[in-house]
Amino acid sequence: MSEPIIRTTGLTKRFGDFVAVSSLTIGVEPGTIFAFLGANGSGKSTTIRMLIGVLEPTEGAIVVDGIDVIARPRRVRDRIGYMGQKVSLYQGLSIRENVEFYAGLYGIEGRALDTRWGELRERFALAQTENERPENLPAGIRQRAGLALATLHRPRLLFLDEPTAGVDVESRGLFWDRIQEEAERGVTVFVTTHFLEEVEYCDWVSFIEAGRLIADAEPEDLRRRYSAGYGVRVLAPPASRERAARILTDAGATLAPQPDGVAATIAALDAPLLAELERLREIAGATIEIVQPTMTDVFRAVLAQEANGGQAA
Amino acid sequence: MSEILIRLRGLRKRFGRRTALAGIDLDVDQRQILGVTGPDGAGKTTLLRSLAGLLEIEADEASVLGFDLRGDVTELKRRIGYVPQAFGLHRDLTIRENLRFTGRLHGIPEAEFERRSTELLARTQLAPFGARLAGALSGGMKQKLAIANALLPAPALIILDEPTAGVDVGARAEIWTILERARETALVVVSTSYLDEAEQCDRLVYLDEGRVVASGTPAELQRQNPRELVRAWGDDPRAIARAARGITGVVTARASARFARIEADADGAALVDAIRRLPGVRLVEPAPADMESTLRHLASTRA
Repeated sequence: MSEPIIRTTGLTKRFGDFVAVSSLTIGVEPGTIFAFLGANGSGKSTTIRMLIGVLEPTEGAIVVDGIDVIARPRRVRDRIGYMGQKVSLYQGLSIRENVEFYAGLYGIEGRALDTRWGELRERFALAQTENERPENLPAGIRQRAGLALATLHRPRLLFLDEPTAGVDVESRGLFWDRIQEEAERGVTVFVTTHFLEEVEYCDWVSFIEAGRLIADAEPEDLRRRYSAGYGVRVLAPPASRERAARILTDAGATLAPQPDGVAATIAALDAPLLAELERLREIAGATIEIVQPTMTDVFRAVLAQEANGGQAA
Repeated sequence: MSEILIRLRGLRKRFGRRTALAGIDLDVDQRQILGVTGPDGAGKTTLLRSLAGLLEIEADEASVLGFDLRGDVTELKRRIGYVPQAFGLHRDLTIRENLRFTGRLHGIPEAEFERRSTELLARTQLAPFGARLAGALSGGMKQKLAIANALLPAPALIILDEPTAGVDVGARAEIWTILERARETALVVVSTSYLDEAEQCDRLVYLDEGRVVASGTPAELQRQNPRELVRAWGDDPRAIARAARGITGVVTARASARFARIEADADGAALVDAIRRLPGVRLVEPAPADMESTLRHLASTRA
């Protein structure tokens, strides 16, 4: 584990009597995608606003990329890209003019700007719309343009507050492909979402409820703790069924009889098991079907346990 | 029980020079949850508003609950519950006052109002908050109130425009439970951009550029999807996804938990071989089409 690039300790924000965020302690590893989830009004946006140095906490400490955000809120801003629920594109200016405006703020100009924007325009599929004004574009394209702009100055961290809300499936897919590319390049991504399947695209998930963390783990870890496990079904010629059953039993699976093969439930799919299954598929001609418990079901289990006073339901 | 609930032929709607609906055909003859989905700007909201009798439309035929949308729709509107995207209730009234307001508007007798409102407050789990101002409710609670309000006059058709957009997972599950219950007594027409919700609909209508591009049960639509979907399991799914984007025919590749989810317009066997050769791949699992690849494929068929 490397040193967290985002670290909050006992982060608290009160508005009068209302506690928006209560003693939040989280750490985000560099180069990872960190999903920050919670109900409406649970304190997600308030937390992001404190992390990027635009809202002062009531208590606690925030360090982002080695900078004490509370002491030096302005210094952090050059290193981060931010995209809010309402994309910050100027209406009345074309996408291209927005790019030039933001580039000016970051001191990017001339050939450097042409090269950078040329690359982003391609990756975010914006070539056909760069001369349109944002108010005339569908939400999906606006969001893509917003993300392209947020990455214009090659920030080390991206803060995305519900970037895919109200966006269609196609744009959401393209959006996440790009976010993962950013992470591949070492950018740390802090993202909030209501789409639970999007948690699968992230390395870590923190779930905040009423300002307090109720889950803070790798998605795979939550799946292990809050579901029966993976379903694995091997449809195989009779000669290979026994071998399939042995492979699964050896990996600790619970078997269920099937007329045309074997079915099993297993807590984790580790590399040796996957390799054995691949051999069954390639050599023995088996068909492998893996059913992964959905994050929707996992989170319903998390919430049910929480409602049950922390006891497994 | 089968009766014609909706029958549309060539339903058209223009706003100035822009064509929002370019000729919709639709038949619905039993109570169900009918999902409407499609890309931004496809015409979903316009179709829903047309069905609710809120727009002047053109059509060769346009009947909803036996009423002609081209004629007087006053009586039709009394039998429809409509939940728009934006919260349309009175923020300065409490939950109970909002329901009472609607009850009076529809002339629901006092005893029946008491019975129905009590039941709806229980069903939506809003009962403990009856005295709270609507304006002070969370997003999910506002939506549940809007739905309770639309259900109060016992409509034969309830139309909901993205009722769960921006609503958290707990409230989203509750809203779907309410819709499943409402299906017992009403036709439920709901637009959504959530994949899991699209899968829960009895029937799905996919719109694009103001036309019905596809319609059927979620399973039927997924079966008709010619696109290949492969899950490549390995130690570093993100690196696998990146490498897979270089394979000919790959439309999208993304790490999803322990595997890279790869969609392609390509020959299945050749695709599996190409993926098998990528570094770090442990298991290649050709998977049946899912809702995401199905909707994305439909989006790509656009002229």
